[in-house]
Formats: sequence, C-alpha cells, structure tokens
Amino acid sequence: MGNIKSCVSLYSFQNQYMTGKSSLEDLLRFVKEDCGADGVEILPDQMLHGTPNPSEKTYQEWSRLMEKYQLDLACADVFLNTTLYKNRELTKRECIDLIKQEIVMAHRLGFKTIRLVSMVPAWILEPCLEAAVKNDVIMAIEIHAGLGFGVPKTEEFLAEVLRLNSPYVGIVPDAGLFCRKFPRVTSEYCKKVYGTNEELIKYAHSVFESGIDFFELTKSRGFFEIEEAKGKGLRFESGAESRVKDPSKDMFYVANLSAYENKPLSVMDPYIKYIKHFHFKLYEMTKTGEEYSIDYKEILTYLKAHDYNGYVSTEYEGNRWTLPGKPIKEKEQVLLHQQYIKKILNEIQ
Amino acid sequence: MFDTNVFIEDTCKNVLKNNQVIGYEMQTHITYYRGIPLSMINYVKVKADGVEVPRENIRFTADHIDWFTLDEMETVALIKWEFGVPATVRVLQDGGLSKGTHDVQLTVCTRTAYIPVPLEGVMTRSVVI
Repeated sequence: MGNIKSCVSLYSFQNQYMTGKSSLEDLLRFVKEDCGADGVEILPDQMLHGTPNPSEKTYQEWSRLMEKYQLDLACADVFLNTTLYKNRELTKRECIDLIKQEIVMAHRLGFKTIRLVSMVPAWILEPCLEAAVKNDVIMAIEIHAGLGFGVPKTEEFLAEVLRLNSPYVGIVPDAGLFCRKFPRVTSEYCKKVYGTNEELIKYAHSVFESGIDFFELTKSRGFFEIEEAKGKGLRFESGAESRVKDPSKDMFYVANLSAYENKPLSVMDPYIKYIKHFHFKLYEMTKTGEEYSIDYKEILTYLKAHDYNGYVSTEYEGNRWTLPGKPIKEKEQVLLHQQYIKKILNEIQ
Repeated sequence: MFDTNVFIEDTCKNVLKNNQVIGYEMQTHITYYRGIPLSMINYVKVKADGVEVPRENIRFTADHIDWFTLDEMETVALIKWEFGVPATVRVLQDGGLSKGTHDVQLTVCTRTAYIPVPLEGVMTRSVVI
C-alpha cells in the first residue's frame, strides 16, 4: 500500500521572499510548524545563491537549516538555461554539463528528486543517467498544463522515459492539467485589470463546465504554440476569438485560456510508475475549504488507488492573479490548502 | 508580467562622484521568479520624462562589485542576478536629474529557461529629486 506524503513548494512564497518579508528560514519554519507538512520543495535558483555551484558557506547554512527543521527534502526544481546567450542556444554538451551540475548540487543538498522544467529536451536524459544513479538523484520532467500531454516536446520526453525505463527517470504531473472549473481568480483579474468582456469570461467558464478545455478545442499543440502562431497571424477556432470585442482588453485573457487543462486523470495511466512527485497547484481556496478549480479528492483517490507513495506538493499560483494593491495571501492560502489535503489523506489512508 | 517586481519605490536618486553629479540610479528586482546569470538579461531601458536614455549610457550591477554596460553584460555567464537581491541600474548623465519631479520609467526584460517570449516588466514612477 502506498503512503502519500504532504509537501509545500517554497515557490508558493516567492513574493514574501523577494520583498524580504520572509527569509528562507522563516519559510521552512512555516512549512514545518504551521503547515505541519512532511516535506519541502525548493527552487535552488530562487532561494540559494550561486547555484548550481553554491559556496561552502551556502551549503553549511543549508545543513544547519535542515538539521533544525527536519523536513523531508521532497524535490528540487531545476531549470535549463538554454537561452544563456543572446546570440545562440546552448549546445547539447553544454546542456548536459549543466544538468549534471544540478544533479551533483541536489545530492549535496540532500534531495533525491529533481524536477526538470517543461520543455527540457528528451536527449538530456541518457547522457545524465550515470550521474543520476551515482548521486542517487531521480530526474523527473514536469508535465504542466498548456505544455503537457500531446505537446510534441513533452511526448518525446515521455517516450524517452518509457524507453529508458529506469528508476532514476520519471515525471512530475502538475494538477493544473485537471482543472474542472476555469480559475475564477484569473477571470476576475483580467476583468478588473484589463477590462476583459463578460461574455468571453462566461464562455471560458462554460467550456470547462462542459468537461473540455481550450487546449482540446484548438486541437493545437499548447499554450506557446498558440502564442507563436498568433504572431504569424494564424487563428484558432476555440470560440474565444469570435468573442473578443476589444483586443487590448481581451487578448491577454485569451492567451491564458490554454494554460489550464481539463483532462481525465486516465491520461496518467501509462505513466503511473514513473510519477516521482506531484505538483498540487493552488489558485484559490474557497470559503468551504476546497480548491476552486481542482478536485483534489478525485486526484488523491486516484493516486491512492494506484499505490502512489510520493509527495503531493502545494504550489500556490494565485499570487499572479492577486489584484494590484491587494496583499498576496500566500501563507494563508497554503495553510488552508494543506489542511484540505490532509483532511482528504486522513479519509483515504 | 512581473511589472510589480520592477523599479523598487523610493530608490531613484542622483549619483555623486568626486562632488560631481554623474547621473542617477534606481533599484529593481528581477522579472522572473528565480536568479539567472546576467547574460540572460535581454535588455534594460530607461525613459526619463518620456525621453529614452541611450543604451550606451546605462550601467548595471547585480552586487555592487562589478558594473557592466549592456553590451558587456551579454557575455557575463558566471555572475548571477539573484532572486530577492535588488540590482542597480545607473544612467550616466552629467548633472543627473534636475531638482523637482520626474517621470522615470524602467523596463527590464529577461530570457527564461522555457518560455519562448522574453519576460518584460515595466514600471513608471514619479520621482522627486
């Protein structure tokens, strides 16, 4: 039987950290003592200096914090700076070298899983596998809404995961793939900040209510491809474009529609044994103590039924949709989300 | 996106060197949610009272140790702009900004790891010198 563990990603608190309201230590204390989470997830590039080659001083400080707060190190979120230089993309050799450095750093920090951000090329895996095994670090690709199943680069990566069939290679699904309702914080933000028209917003919500999403409707290849195609004057028949009344007010919203998906959980069926970590996206906790868009009971029941025994990690993103001048309530929201997750976990395991 | 990270309030001031005002500077956070090498800064632009500052008059530091022109910065792959650490953008301009109120606009644009479009943030502040 699997045992699902709770986790909080410090990504959730980026604004607190950036503005100096909370230090890394404050956040670890919050995750441990207030949230009572089993594990923590970090973006080394966000809250540690000098990554992927931090100083000994940084490593020592990290060890001190880990000793003090005793959190499981669930996952380190890794990026690949292919755009390091303006005049060229990094070569394969440079990319492989960077990911190997990340693996070594993750090991020294105490992580056993790294999440490779969406769109990391599939060819990175095999040449990095030896370093992953040696350092006992799993490489898992993020499967994110708008960039997920059906997107060629992601499908290539998934095929490579299946081909390599290694315990050191896997996936990190993001629950934004499973929005049963369109996030109303996004709609509210676009309405108030850009003046997005009501009819368009109603249409977007109705699409999700009818059990589909814009990713499906456009039969396209995802969020970025839609954006790029728009630049070339191409159009998609999602029904949203015809409801645009004023592009300056409506197009930002339209651009965001395919960044959320409404997929059946069964899309994960072929990859169950490769799920190494799970991002539990949080847009908005409702007054009744649930996430507005995502049915976490449905997801947790599915994971439990499939004997998943990894972490489920709260990743708050309502910060992007907090109205200007309003405080970002990330701590409050994360706390409520963790209570919600734990309540379900207590029911099912 | 990330507009609110740009141009930290109350940080714009004239810069004195050897009793001469050599220009003005302001602080800003990164238009991203993680630290990146300086070479990934796509561009920085400053407009004062609607007039764009020539690119060659802009200097940038992420740590007050090394200062770079924007051209130089394109190859700075080993020094990072850390998330949560304000960088300083300096405009070289004899006499700096005159006494009074000015509209100063700062634009910061970074290339990211996976988003094909660079992330630009823009903020205009009314600055009193």
